[in-house]
Amino acid sequence: MTFPRWHMLRNARVSTLAAFCTVASCLAGCGDAGGDPSAQIGPHPTLPEQTQYLLPPMHIARVVGWKKDETPTVPQGLKIQALATGLEHPRSLYVLPNGDILVVESKSPGVQPIRRPKDIVMGWIESLSTSGGGNQQSNRITLLRDTNGDGMPEVRSVFLDHLNSPFGVALVGNDLYVANTDAIVRYPYSTGDTKISAPGTTLTPLPGGPIDHHWTKSLVASADGSTLYVGVGSNSNITENGMEAEKNRAAILQVDRATGRWRLYATGLRNPNGLSFEPQSGALWTVVNERDELGPDLVPDYLTSVKDGGFYGWPYSYYGQHVDPRVKPERPDLVAKAIAPDYALSSHVAPLGLVFYAASNLPETYRGGAFVAEHGSWNRTTLNGYKVVFVPFKGGQPDGMAQDFVTGFLTSDDQARGRPVGLAVDKSGALLIADDVGDTVWRVTSAGP
Amino acid sequence: MTERQTLGSMAQIAKHPIHPMLVPFPIACFIGALVTDVTYSLTAQMMWADFSAWLLVAGLIMGVLAAVAGLIDFLSNRLIRAQPPAWPHMLGNVLVLVLSFFNALVHTRDGWTSVVPTGLILSVIVVLILPVTGWLGWSMVYRYGVGVGR
Repeated sequence: MTFPRWHMLRNARVSTLAAFCTVASCLAGCGDAGGDPSAQIGPHPTLPEQTQYLLPPMHIARVVGWKKDETPTVPQGLKIQALATGLEHPRSLYVLPNGDILVVESKSPGVQPIRRPKDIVMGWIESLSTSGGGNQQSNRITLLRDTNGDGMPEVRSVFLDHLNSPFGVALVGNDLYVANTDAIVRYPYSTGDTKISAPGTTLTPLPGGPIDHHWTKSLVASADGSTLYVGVGSNSNITENGMEAEKNRAAILQVDRATGRWRLYATGLRNPNGLSFEPQSGALWTVVNERDELGPDLVPDYLTSVKDGGFYGWPYSYYGQHVDPRVKPERPDLVAKAIAPDYALSSHVAPLGLVFYAASNLPETYRGGAFVAEHGSWNRTTLNGYKVVFVPFKGGQPDGMAQDFVTGFLTSDDQARGRPVGLAVDKSGALLIADDVGDTVWRVTSAGP
Repeated sequence: MTERQTLGSMAQIAKHPIHPMLVPFPIACFIGALVTDVTYSLTAQMMWADFSAWLLVAGLIMGVLAAVAGLIDFLSNRLIRAQPPAWPHMLGNVLVLVLSFFNALVHTRDGWTSVVPTGLILSVIVVLILPVTGWLGWSMVYRYGVGVGR
């Protein structure tokens, strides 16, 4: 019986961790739980003074999973149910034109070398949150088909298997692109396929190993299908793996679909995910995970439009010209031109999913706005994120305060039932949420008459 | 009290005291950490800061083992405690370990501030203390004959 033993071991490790964190939080300056996260939402977040820790706060919600009939919580008048359970670390979602839903199940490549003693401790703590995915059957795409739209798929099949830490998917015509952690791979797809067995063709390699710290490669195709945009996260928190490891990272690459040639479209984006086009302006938007270990309220993660050639600060600065003292050599020339992002989401929430809502199933108030999935914090004593929020938009720009949309991923005592990652809108206009810790895809619809 | 009350070591293997076998490790590690800290501060190449982090942890582990052996001798023999260098040697080296512990925590930061300035300053202070406590330790052995066989 392996499972109960593992479970006991994990409990023991969590107690040790809790004791460790108590000591750590006192060394780090007792009681610095951070301020009200809502002060850091919107275009002009308050940015406190930087903290340099002796030990950074490490508080990860212990995973308890969903009990039978437990679901996340949605606003009144809406309904949430599991579209599929028992998945293996589902991280992102893609809806094909015929309504079939692709669930990208993916785990961390696990190739990050141990460069110093801290990496041993951090690896152990990450394993507690299973954010890397410890499952055996992962790194595949599962297809779900729900023809009658009742939220209960009639078909569930392994669509593509044996992938390399995949994340983004984009379909252009009959070409299906999968962004593995080290390459964009093209597969032939015909409407109605439930399985692809043809071998893929590499369109272009992407920055992957040997460190591959931020490994999720978000992918979106331009409206005319000629260009792919792919997000490549940084290879470190703040260049501690060396500047050489950051080549062509912390960036969005613009890839020519015909040839695979690419260029840096925007840079200084520490870990960009959820690449999406805002429907009204047609502009490219992304959510970005900002840097850690500067304090409970630094640095706020954000949602931003992405300008061609724009530099957004990482690693040298944040929110424009706020210089990070941990980066040497300094680059005042780059700091001077760093663009402040459009909309802060508050610190350490870890946004990984973004979708603009252009459908009509959900109430009028959600139309045209953006949903953002916040995977949840580790680097502050009071947890932040662990929910899906709604950001209203007007005239192609965020307009007003973000609202909690899907909550209940945490129990009242800060244990994680699940953690939201990728988002998509299905053919019926329902919002889909990939929950990589709860191993579930959730579906939010209007409650109906 | 026997008539042959000696300055013999309790923590010993075949009359070879363990403490002096272990003390070279933390001394070499902490001096090495200063060298790699200085090199990092001159080059900003993270590899050197990583070396410092390993050297500090290795020095701490071996230093704690050396301290355990030393404290056994110190606490088990009133005559050893009574030697003039004993207390300052012990307290100075405890200070070295405490400072190096905080130095190892500083070195868990990411990037430049894992070394400059706090880590580098702590490394310098530790290396300045080491010759003093080392001198006191050598006095214990070579002048007062602690742990030396009869």
